[in-house]
Amino acid sequence: MFVALEFARLVRANQSMVFSLALRFLRNHEVAEEVSQDVFLQLYQNLGRIQNEAHATWWLRRTICHRAIDEVRRRKLRPQIGLDSIADPAASRHEPDWFQNERLRRLVEALPIRSRMVIVLRYQEDLDPTDIAGLLGIPVSTVKSHLHRSLAVLRARLARESAPPKGVCYEYGK
Amino acid sequence: MNMENELRKALRRESSPAGFADRVVAKAGQPVPRPHQPWWKFRPLVFANAFALTGVLFIGGVMYQRHEEQRALEARRQLVTALNVTKASLQKAQERIRRVAAKPIL
Repeated sequence: MFVALEFARLVRANQSMVFSLALRFLRNHEVAEEVSQDVFLQLYQNLGRIQNEAHATWWLRRTICHRAIDEVRRRKLRPQIGLDSIADPAASRHEPDWFQNERLRRLVEALPIRSRMVIVLRYQEDLDPTDIAGLLGIPVSTVKSHLHRSLAVLRARLARESAPPKGVCYEYGK
Repeated sequence: MNMENELRKALRRESSPAGFADRVVAKAGQPVPRPHQPWWKFRPLVFANAFALTGVLFIGGVMYQRHEEQRALEARRQLVTALNVTKASLQKAQERIRRVAAKPIL
């Protein structure tokens, strides 16, 4: 009974984190939910080894990252964006930078999987490079290098997308 | 534009689907079905099969060897008989030649 209550509390506290990480990588609501559920069930089976809530969060974050990487490789996921995963632009018009956020998310999704993982853990989960390195089992220098390169790539792609196409004159009458 | 702030805004956590936690807790309460294991993971079965296969191969090998020995013995017996028949025929022929040679010519 205690185990069940404790587990329910852990699920409620971490569901958003686990689901968001799965969604960023798998890009499909149904698959992300399925994988997130599996990860929580795995936690339930390993509940005896979990020391405290922080450990549970760390365990979940680590497991979902590795599971998402495996799942992407296994399914060879291409951008499969279901209709339900696209927010309704009309409903979000009050948010001035909706398009900007959407564009950034799309550019992040186009990054290689390791770089994407590092970027998401850094800016979605607000983890520092040392934590990310520990979570993914890679050196801190590699994490920093991924961050540096990915930011440069994102800046370049964003600038290219924002630049007006060549040959278009925006100043009429000249 | 501060790229890092923009990324933080764009990559905000999504809320999980409605009823997600309840579904997970309900699933956790159910008995977990045993995952389907590949046949090579059933160690006792693998060992028993390997043992049986080794036994069958050994007995088969011994029986085959005995069968081959029997065939070799039979072949030797037949060869000896054939040689004896040949020897008798040759002796008869030699005897006839000797008799013919002993007869005076006219």
